[in-house]
This record gives sequence, C-alpha cells and structure tokens, in this order.
Amino acid sequence: MKIIYFIVQQTMTFSIPLLIVALGGMFSERSGVVNIALEGIMVFGAFTSILFINQMQDTMQGQLLLILAIAVAAVSGMLISLLHAYASIHMKADQVISGTAINMLTPAVAIYVARMIQQIQQIGFVNTFRIVSVPLLGNIPVLGPLFFQNTYLTTYLGFAILIVSALVLYRTRFGLRLRACGEHPQAADSVGINVYKMRYAGVLISGLLAGIGGLVFVIPTSTNFNATVAGYGFLALAVLIFGQWKPGRILLAAFFFGLMQAIASAYSGIPFLAGLGIPNYFYRMTPFIATLVVLTFTSKKSRAPKAAGVPYDKSAR
Amino acid sequence: MKKFLVVLLALALVLPLAACGPKDDEPGNGEPKEEGYELALVTDIGTIDDKSFNQGAWEGLKKYAEEHGITHKYYQPQDKTTAAYLDAIDLAVQGGAKLVVCPGFLFEGAIYEAQDLYPDVKFIILDGVPHAGDYTPVVKDNVYSVFYAEEQAGFLAGYAAVKDGYTKLGFMGGMAVPAVIRFGYGFVQGAEYAAEEMGISSIELNYHYTGGFDSTPEAKTTAASWYNAGIEVIFACGGAMGNSVMRAAEEAGTAVIGVDVDQSGESDTVITSAMKQLAISVYDGIAAYYAGNFPGGQSVTLDAKVQGVGLPMESSKFKTFTQEDYDAIFAKLVDGSITLLKDTDADDPTQLGTEIVKVNYVE
Repeated sequence: MKIIYFIVQQTMTFSIPLLIVALGGMFSERSGVVNIALEGIMVFGAFTSILFINQMQDTMQGQLLLILAIAVAAVSGMLISLLHAYASIHMKADQVISGTAINMLTPAVAIYVARMIQQIQQIGFVNTFRIVSVPLLGNIPVLGPLFFQNTYLTTYLGFAILIVSALVLYRTRFGLRLRACGEHPQAADSVGINVYKMRYAGVLISGLLAGIGGLVFVIPTSTNFNATVAGYGFLALAVLIFGQWKPGRILLAAFFFGLMQAIASAYSGIPFLAGLGIPNYFYRMTPFIATLVVLTFTSKKSRAPKAAGVPYDKSAR
Repeated sequence: MKKFLVVLLALALVLPLAACGPKDDEPGNGEPKEEGYELALVTDIGTIDDKSFNQGAWEGLKKYAEEHGITHKYYQPQDKTTAAYLDAIDLAVQGGAKLVVCPGFLFEGAIYEAQDLYPDVKFIILDGVPHAGDYTPVVKDNVYSVFYAEEQAGFLAGYAAVKDGYTKLGFMGGMAVPAVIRFGYGFVQGAEYAAEEMGISSIELNYHYTGGFDSTPEAKTTAASWYNAGIEVIFACGGAMGNSVMRAAEEAGTAVIGVDVDQSGESDTVITSAMKQLAISVYDGIAAYYAGNFPGGQSVTLDAKVQGVGLPMESSKFKTFTQEDYDAIFAKLVDGSITLLKDTDADDPTQLGTEIVKVNYVE
C-alpha cells in the first residue's frame, strides 16, 4: 500500500501542472486562438513568482507566501499572454509565429533580468510550502495518505481550477459565447457577440492558468529556477489534444501522462516493478504512443475547435 | 540610379570583409587589441554561473585577472556546435585575447582547428584534448589540455559516505559521458574500499544515468523513489539535475553528495561534494603563462597528487568521518597505493569487480 501512496503522491507532481496548463490552453483554443506559447508563459509565470518568493522569503513563509506567489504568477502570465493576444487577435498575425516568439523570448528575459538583479541566473528559493499532512483529513485511512499527505496547496488548487473551468465552459453564458467564437466566429458576431473581446478573454485566461502552472511545476521540482520548465508546456499541449479540448478528458489525460511519467521515473525504487524487467523506455513512450493512436482513431471526429488558428476577419463571411 | 545603389550596397558589404583580412600588416589595427580583453573564456553548455564547470573555470580566471589587473571577458557561443564554438573563439581573439580558456570536452574539435588558426594565442582546454574527431590527440605548443582524476574525487565521496555510516547509496549521473562515468566508478570503488576496511558485509548501491543535466520532475521522482526505498544518500552528478535530487532529499529528510564545486550552499541536504579544483588549475595555468613557462603541448591529468580533486572538509556535514580519516585516505591516493578503474576499464558499473558493494544498475 505504501508504494501505491507514494506513486499517487508523485503522480501529482507531474499531473497537476499539466492539468492546469492544459486547461489554460483549452480556454484559448476554445475561443479560437491556438496557443503554443504555453511553455513560454509557464517560464514567465514561474520566473516572476519565484523571484517574488526569493525576495520575500525572509519576511514570510508557508502558505501565505505561496498564495501571494500564485497571484504574482497569474498576473504576469496574463501580461505576457497579452502580447500573444494583441498579435494574433488585433494584428491578425500567424498564431503559431507569435506563440513561438513568446517561447523564445521568455527564457531570455528571465535570464537577463535575473542577472541584472542578482548577478546569477538561477533564482534560489526555500521550499516552505509542503504540507506533510493536512489536519484531520490526513488521518483518514487510505484516502488520507493518498490525497492529504506529503502534498501541496497547489494540488487542491488544480482540482478547484478544473471544476471552475468545467462550470464556466458549460454552465455560463460566457462559456457558451467563448465556445461559439471558437467554432464559428461569424455566426457569433451576427448575433451581437464581440468576437475580439471573447478571444482576448480566452487568451488571457490561458495566460493566467499557464503562469500559475509554471509556478506549480517548479516548486516541488528543484531548489532553484533556471529559466526552464523542461518542455512541460508542450507536453500540456499534447494533454490538451489527447483530452479533446474537454475538461473531463483533460483531467484523465493529465493523470494518464502523469502516472506513466511517475512510474517510468520511480520504477527502479519499487521492487515489484523493477522485478518485471520492463525497460523504462516502455513507460516513457506509452503516453506519446497512446496519443498518436488515439489521434489516429479519433481524427475523423476530432473535436478541435473549428476556427482555432484562424484570425477573425469581420469582412470575411 | 538603381544600379548605382546596388553597386554601392555590394561595395559596402565587401569592404568591411576585406578590411577583416590581413590584419597583421596594418599597424593601425594593433591599437584596439591593446584595449581589448587579454584573458578570455568561452562557455560550454550552460552559462557562466552554472555552479559547476564554467563557473569554476571563470572564478580561477577572474581571480588571477583581478589580482594582476588584467582585462578579462567571457564569451557565450550561439550554439552547442563546433562551428559556433569556433566563432566564439574567433570573437575572443578578435577582441584581443592572448589566452582563451575553454571548459569542457565539447571544445575538442574547435580547439583542434583553433590551435592552427591562431598560433600566437594560447588555449587551456579543461576535460578534453584536441583531436580531429578520431580521438587521436593532437596537442600543439599553444594548447594546454587538462583532465581531472574524477574517479579519485568519486572515490573520496564514496569512501567518506560509507565511513560516515551510510550503507545504502545511490549514484545519479546526468549522461554517460567520460567524466560522469569516472565519478560514478570511483564512487562505487570508494564505497567498496571503505566497506572492506570496516568489515561491513553488504552495501547496496543504485546506479543510474538520468539522460540530462536539467532539473526535471523525472529526476526528482527517481530520487524520491530511491529515498522511499531506503537509499540514504545519493551522489548527484549532473549539473542542475542535482537540484532536483536535493529537493527530493529535503522532502525525505535524507542526504545528497554534490559534484564539481562545493555545493553545500545549494541545500542543507548536501553533506559533501566531490570537487574538481577547476579554479586552481585555471589560475595556475594562467600564472604559468605570464611567468613565461606555459605548459603547452601537453595533456595532463590533475589528481590527488597535485590537489586537483578533493572534498571540501570545512563545509562538509559528516557525523563520524573526520579530517584525519580524510587526510589518511587522501595520502593513499597521493602515494599511489590505491589504483582505480576508469571509464575505459569497465563497460558498466556492475563489472568493477566489487564484492561487498552490490551495484543495482538501472538502465
């Protein structure tokens, strides 16, 4: 049982950032703007918030600092995504190009600014955010060790974001309009919805979530931030596609990817898995092969938003 | 008019190129060289503050330059290719460099060409020897190639860990490049040596190359799973990857051994570091150059004899392993009574012939 608890706890390290960032990507793409800048936005969100923690950790610690850092990450993620929004919505630029530009820009900015402030590019931080056991809930048998021990506040934030995202997308007027703009913006416009506004909203939400995702990714992973999120922004894109742009499926996809990564990384410390003799390449490959297979079989009725990637032109009918 | 403009443009492009050519004939061009940067360093993968290779080399260069008031500068290549390294070296030479320090074996190809291109410029290459791609060393008189006996540094780390009471060890390397392999093999042999000395019957040692030098959740989870399975200390030998191991150790309340430079400042979990004295060897190389006896044309391996490797005992957090223990084992490395197997002597860590240390090689 102890091993199962361990695997579940480790899976969270992988899955929660993927979940949050993929949900961010979902809002952007559902509004009709392809956002491959997720990686860059993650880097930027992580950069500003880790810098914030680095500067503030002498005066405060623990969950309060974490919550403030999350706010910093969210705001900075929104700001950087504004660039993408402006280029791809206002200027009708190619959305892939502007996304790539952000991916290249943000690590450079992070290194440059970190050097200016503290001479070195790695931003160190002390991890005071880990929750060894949630009071009361951590003592529940089975469920306690599974979900409420050796965890982070951000894990619950991830699930909260999932629930709110699903509600916003399917149960609100805003969500309906957003989806309409991603499917058929001309039709949406014809009934008086401001497509530009909705798309700005979609991209900004994706920036907010990807920024948070960057912070969530870095905290349990390293003792410093070194201007990279190791390609997890792109992995989140794969999760988004594997999850067919739907919150529930994104959750499944994120946990499938996370579980596979956790097993591939941890199997050498688990006697049962080490004894099976399956090379870890197998575990590493599985999520990607599964994505390819699923895409192959579902491509006919793939539910990608129809207008994703197409700049909205009012005059084109 | 249009034609005239085209001709003008073409001339504008060609003229600076021509000016670049025969520099030595023009006395006027000597002047900026005087104002340039005499000592230069070209960085390898990673940056000048990687808390590892580049930084160690740069510190040595900077120390000498500042003590003696010499201009110095570092250059970062655009890419991780021989062509890009060569460009950066060219830039350094154009910038007035008389001596260029290149940390890392990736420079082997670039130095091979640069040593002929710039016969008047001296080069110090760390962890590598110039060759044309066929691994036949060609060291010209203006090149000083420095290797380190990483297996001795790893040996000291493994010895100290077992002596300090750890019996379940781990080794996580970045990639299986020669320097990392030597660290790992030395670590295994050090553990074996200490166990034999102490009469311990069995030592467990997990051995793994993560495949990268970055901080990733994968590296962290691997480390966490080892700690979870009872491993007490992991020798993290792979740049920023080590920071992920430290994070895992912080969560598990266990220990880490750092690499290359003294990493005790990175995390409280770092009990010691298997150090290469990069700064000292670069400093000494530069000092020799200015003293007029640049050790060019040779490839040396700096080992315990010349204090090329070691553990930072003053910042180490050992419980029972003392300075005297360290001095005793270090002396044995110096006088050559301990000989170690290197990267070329065994195909994988299970073939090192250890009897007490059970190597669990995770591929």
